[in-house]
Amino acid sequence: MQEKEVIIIGGGAAGLAAAVACQQKRIEDILIIERGDYLGGILQQCIHDGFGLEKFHTSLAGPEYAQRYIDQVKEKEIPFLLNSMVVNLTPQKEVIVINYKGLQHYRAKVIILAMGCRERTRGAINIPGARPSGIYTAGVAQELINLKNYMIGEKIVILGSGDIGLIMARRLSLEGAEVIMVAEKLPYSSGLPRNVNQCLYDFDIPLLLSHTVVDIEGNGRLSGVTIAQLGKRGGIIPGSKRKIACDTLLLSVGLIPENELSREAGIILDNITGGPQVDERGQTSVPGIFACGNVLQVHDIVDNVSLEAEYIVEGVAEFLEGKLTKEQEIKVELGKGLRYVVPQTLIRSEDSIFSFRVNQPGRKKILIFKDGKRIIKKKILRRVNPAEMIRVKLSSSELEGIKTLKVKLV
Amino acid sequence: MEREFICIICPNGCRISVEYEGINIKNIKGDECPKGKDYVKNEITNPLRVFTGSVLIENGDFSLVSVKTPAPIPKKYLKKIGEITRRIKMEAPVEIGQVVASNLLNENIDLIATRKIEKKKSLSS
Amino acid sequence: MKTKNNHFDMVIIGAGVVGCAVARELSEYKVNVAVLEKEDDVGWGISCRNSGVVHAGFNNKPGTLMAQFCVEGNKSFAELCNQLDVPYKKIGKLVVAKKKEEIKGLQKLKQQGDTNGVDNLQIIDLNEVKRLEPNVSGIAALYSPETAITSPYLLTIALAENALNNGVKFFLNTEVKSITRLNNSHFKINTTKEEFISSYIINSAGLYADKIARMAGTKKYHLYPCRGEYHILDKNVSWLINHLIYPVPQAGAGGLGIHLTPTIDGNILIGPSNEYIKSKDNLSVTSSVMKMLSSEARKFLPLISPGYIIRSYSGLRAKQAPSSEGGFWDFVIEESDTVDNFINLIGIESPGLTAAQPIAKKVVKIINKKERFNPNPSFNPSRKGILQFEEQNEEIKKTLIKQDPDYGEIVCRCEKITKKEILEAANNPLGARSLISIKYRTRAMMGRCQGGYCLPRIIEILKENFNLVPREITLKGEKSYLLMGYRSNEVSKSCKKKKLLSLEEELLV
Repeated sequence: MQEKEVIIIGGGAAGLAAAVACQQKRIEDILIIERGDYLGGILQQCIHDGFGLEKFHTSLAGPEYAQRYIDQVKEKEIPFLLNSMVVNLTPQKEVIVINYKGLQHYRAKVIILAMGCRERTRGAINIPGARPSGIYTAGVAQELINLKNYMIGEKIVILGSGDIGLIMARRLSLEGAEVIMVAEKLPYSSGLPRNVNQCLYDFDIPLLLSHTVVDIEGNGRLSGVTIAQLGKRGGIIPGSKRKIACDTLLLSVGLIPENELSREAGIILDNITGGPQVDERGQTSVPGIFACGNVLQVHDIVDNVSLEAEYIVEGVAEFLEGKLTKEQEIKVELGKGLRYVVPQTLIRSEDSIFSFRVNQPGRKKILIFKDGKRIIKKKILRRVNPAEMIRVKLSSSELEGIKTLKVKLV
Repeated sequence: MEREFICIICPNGCRISVEYEGINIKNIKGDECPKGKDYVKNEITNPLRVFTGSVLIENGDFSLVSVKTPAPIPKKYLKKIGEITRRIKMEAPVEIGQVVASNLLNENIDLIATRKIEKKKSLSS
Repeated sequence: MKTKNNHFDMVIIGAGVVGCAVARELSEYKVNVAVLEKEDDVGWGISCRNSGVVHAGFNNKPGTLMAQFCVEGNKSFAELCNQLDVPYKKIGKLVVAKKKEEIKGLQKLKQQGDTNGVDNLQIIDLNEVKRLEPNVSGIAALYSPETAITSPYLLTIALAENALNNGVKFFLNTEVKSITRLNNSHFKINTTKEEFISSYIINSAGLYADKIARMAGTKKYHLYPCRGEYHILDKNVSWLINHLIYPVPQAGAGGLGIHLTPTIDGNILIGPSNEYIKSKDNLSVTSSVMKMLSSEARKFLPLISPGYIIRSYSGLRAKQAPSSEGGFWDFVIEESDTVDNFINLIGIESPGLTAAQPIAKKVVKIINKKERFNPNPSFNPSRKGILQFEEQNEEIKKTLIKQDPDYGEIVCRCEKITKKEILEAANNPLGARSLISIKYRTRAMMGRCQGGYCLPRIIEILKENFNLVPREITLKGEKSYLLMGYRSNEVSKSCKKKKLLSLEEELLV
């Protein structure tokens, strides 16, 4: 059994930022455990640019953004393991790691969960039809093209207009494939508007809102899909079915935090985010286990992942000093208009950052924080979109003396 | 003629509406920073985009080095640059920012590396 | 008997669980046997796509081959699985009555089971049902402790590998096109690959057994595909049930009803449905049936929610009459009355998996009436499967990794399958190398992420270890390629920075 102060599970954006932040706080006995054979996680396959606008005031490609942290990890000689899979996590903060060297036990004072997320699958959304080859989730396709140099298909239909689907529409077009269309079952795109612009409009790829795939054909390789239009209540509009000949179907239908280890450790999860419930310091229901990045809540901008990781390391430092005391346990109540809020609990009334997503796109909305009938804070939001995470800071003076906390959007 | 653009310069994605005739701009509304104004001006006269892609690498710890154009290039060249990019091969190591190809299409279009590539270690480490 | 090239004493058409069981039985003797299979691997017809239940035998009409072979097969199944290193668990079954009227149905089943020789059947009351299954709603049940579960694909693969090891030859991707009589003692079999000559043909072609029979001149069999769709639930909810949970069968419904099956891997299956369809190749799932499955399952297990479903699939039954006719049809295991030495296995649906070995023994008996066989002195009934790393204790895991570091690389995160297991699966003695072949042998890609993490890794392992070009990596055989090829068509050798400038000039077309 090897003892460590902090073990960080995951060497992607969140894990790297957390490691660097720990080191800056003079926490030296850290270990990053990464299952892939490189650091940087998902950033390494996100070769498009647009990363780092907030953090570094410049537009970087994913690998460039990752390298900024990898350089610091290497410079500061922060220990990390590659090709190492954490196969077990206990509430006592013990982990079992397997790699080519063997099976090792570690115990840490603090565990930082930074495992990121995985994609929803065809099975999970139950698309009927045949089982040919040629059906990929967008992230897997991205890995095969951007890291392994494969071409996955020639005539592509994409289901889901989240950012990954949009980015892949552009990527495939630039790689010489024909992207026939992007179908989105909601009446609005679930990705950032500027991505709809630079990934679809730029390449004349039609975006079919309120459409979904209802059948798949193919004997061997995919030969076509049937799309249909959905009505207001989500049912198929009769007569709207259309067959589209294609050889590849890309699914971009949602991301789910990797919560296997969290479950094993008995950590209480939030049903909506899919990630752990945390307090404002990022601590989960198991003392000493913290979470940040996509494993906590699915992010849309990596700069926020880094900020979140840095932020929860403050809590980690306090915990290691024995100062992360629980003064209260206020459950943050979710009012209308909001899909979820992180953190789910407040244990103190200090400066805290809240992250939200809204239920529907809208304009000129007001975010209201209340303690009973008293309004603590109001924030005007010019434009809201489920695809864009909102981060709001409440100060200790605003949170002082509250007995309850409810947040809603009007 | 009036048209609305979604600016792509930063995540804000401001909706900027432009009144113009041919390439003469009469009015711009909705921009929240000077970059937005420049963006829509270009969209009308000569739309520009940053190209990103990958180039094959020999003997590196990755099989591909991701690349980008250091500045936005005319949108019409994107697919052609994509084709060219697929036909280049390089040797490891590669530093971020290193020029991978220059003056493509004789239009002063460069490609620079955006991923650091180290030489592949001979035995699995 | 002497043979040359593709001359065999026996040719088995169809490498499903029964065909492979027959192959294994025959390999106990000094006969030259070949198995011809049209797919890329064994078991891809009916055998891999069912619930994997080892039935006790109370569902079958007394006096039938189904009843006889089911009970016989059930009693010797544990030993068979032990010899072949195939997972087997005797978890027991509850046929649950929800209404008072259904209790008579339970009693009928018990009587039938007693007549057939099934052991230990008991009718249990509401309290006992609640004790055994706290999450299931029902007022009484027939409890069958002898019902078990196994892995239908691992069993088929194991039977095939053991037969192969004992001298049987397997020809995959080999579809039979025509059968002609050479002279009174030999058949000539034309396939999509080579030509075969054989003294005997055993027709175990599952859904296509009627087509094969017709090739030899027997026109009396007709098989109709009847599709059954299933949902697979996330392992997280495996705690919901401990036994197989079945409804009381409804007269005339055809089939055993929508049931809940804990699989040997730890998932729960809901299904199957029962729908006659036109095409024998249609393995689609349909949205209407998927919805129906969920609502039927909730009748017994109110806690089930659609969020637990990780995947759906379907399998086909070979029915001997169309749905308009229905009726009960027993196994047909007989030498053709018009064509000598041609043995037909027709309509092997449930309990075909349980009965596979007894059916195979019967086939050998039929042949033995005409031929004397000498025993195969080197016959070995034992076969070892791929060692499952995750099932081992920690000390063994450490030793394994030390001996072979490929055990230290976990490729399938959800099921914790190592690179070594993937390599062993891809190196299987049958030579099947598609992703589905690897999936069935290791459980990789069967987890909740359905290949999200492991697929690119398995592709690389295949490419590097078997020197494959991208097009050769398939999902389930030639037509189901995954990749078009490489993205880059790089012009020529490595370019240094200086050379790049001249390259662009070349490319300035």
